[in-house]
Amino acid sequence: MTAIKNIWGNFKKYKFLMMQLISRDFKVKYKRSVLGVLWSILQPVLMMTVMAIVFSQMFRFKVEGTNYLVYLMTGLIMFNYFSEASSNAMTSVVYNFTLINKVYIPKYIFPIAKCLFVGINFLFTLIPWIAIILLSYVGLGEYPASINAWYILLPYIFACLFMFTLGIGMIVSCISVFLRDMFYIYSIILTIWNYLTPVFYSIEILPTSLQTLFKINPLYMFISGARSIVLYGQRPSLIQLGTMGLISIVTMIIGLLIFKRKQDKFIYYV
Amino acid sequence: MINLKNVSMKFNLGIEATSFKETFISLFSKKKKKKTNNDFWALQDVSFGVKKGEVIGLIGSNGAGKSTLLKVVSGVMKPTKGKVTVKGVISPMIELGAGFDAELTARENIYLNGAILGYSKKFIDQKFDEIVEFSELKDFLEVPIKNFSSGMTAKLAFSIATIVNPEILIVDEILSVGDIKFQEKSKNKMLEMINGGTTVLYVSHTLASIRELCTKVIWLEHGVVQMVGDPKKVCDAYYKKQMEK
Repeated sequence: MTAIKNIWGNFKKYKFLMMQLISRDFKVKYKRSVLGVLWSILQPVLMMTVMAIVFSQMFRFKVEGTNYLVYLMTGLIMFNYFSEASSNAMTSVVYNFTLINKVYIPKYIFPIAKCLFVGINFLFTLIPWIAIILLSYVGLGEYPASINAWYILLPYIFACLFMFTLGIGMIVSCISVFLRDMFYIYSIILTIWNYLTPVFYSIEILPTSLQTLFKINPLYMFISGARSIVLYGQRPSLIQLGTMGLISIVTMIIGLLIFKRKQDKFIYYV
Repeated sequence: MINLKNVSMKFNLGIEATSFKETFISLFSKKKKKKTNNDFWALQDVSFGVKKGEVIGLIGSNGAGKSTLLKVVSGVMKPTKGKVTVKGVISPMIELGAGFDAELTARENIYLNGAILGYSKKFIDQKFDEIVEFSELKDFLEVPIKNFSSGMTAKLAFSIATIVNPEILIVDEILSVGDIKFQEKSKNKMLEMINGGTTVLYVSHTLASIRELCTKVIWLEHGVVQMVGDPKKVCDAYYKKQMEK
């Protein structure tokens, strides 16, 4: 517990640095591009348009009784957040080695800054997402999406996603310091994880025995929680919500603890 | 202010060598792998104390452990053995401009680097003009650092690092930064800080500046303290030893 307390104390102290690192990421990312920050919205829109066309028009994917476009987009934005944030967090420590080697900075600031930076981008992607939901609500696609009071639960689910991502990001960034091969291994893990998470297909196409297994996947929990709200207007059960929170908090704490235990050794692996 | 007690620092030089190939081969080779001793002690049993206002010079040949010592004091590295106690705010100038991002402009970098050194936004806002003034780079504020010459970058970094009045200043070979005019200016700035009661740890190969600035000199060789004491005496002994080799 004291570890967490320490981290929180430092967090306040280094808040400005964190903000600087995040704003640096923004500036560097969009430097010299004509549309600049607008890409934060445009890129996911275009990506999802492509995905939507590929899956619904070419592969003829559909989920019975569901607006497929909303179904797909919900899964995509959430999984993309996880994959982008955790892989950015992974490389963040190694890429900042020159800095770590010169000045004392709490090192966990780098993965956290990355998860927040991608998180802000995630918030931008919510704009086209909500637009699609509204369009579906007024009649785009076969089945309408739902707009209801349970939307207030979405921030909770996104917070769980964030904490889970941060925990995983901490762990992989720690491993990658000691084992640079992790850069490559993790990208493969992410690809596998992507296919094992029902993002563009429905979990119901799987045999029942596999379904239970797939439901353990925390990312699927978050995604299906958000889907049941926006698609069917149903509140995820309290057990589901509780499990989500528990898993993400535990993952985050494990990540922080592993990181804290190992961070003093980082310097030898520069 | 600073107290080091039996500080030792071990590096494993073999870290790079354990590639997959070697691990794989060693799995199948019958010969028991000879346990190679890759341990390298960068610091061995170093103890000393620094009082407030002292200016400590660190000398020694390349690889003697001077920079490692500074890193241990500034908290970048934790010692393998021993204990380091530091009281007060440290401003490290181990390598100037380590926190710069080449893509960003000078203005943006002042904020970024300031944040890395632990300054608050308010503080940088207040001191911004002073930093720019000292760095003599007023006309280049909106230019990305990547277009700067190395001298210009160093000037900017020095100006940011010295804007605070730190209680402890750690300086690693940086007074040779910039053109002659700036060198003179930065030396004066340091003297000003020293007179203001700042404790300084100063690494340099220029014995003349060590003699001029320091009140006490520590001579390190192979991670072991050879001599501590009066600047003139230690510098002379060090110089004699170096010439003998």
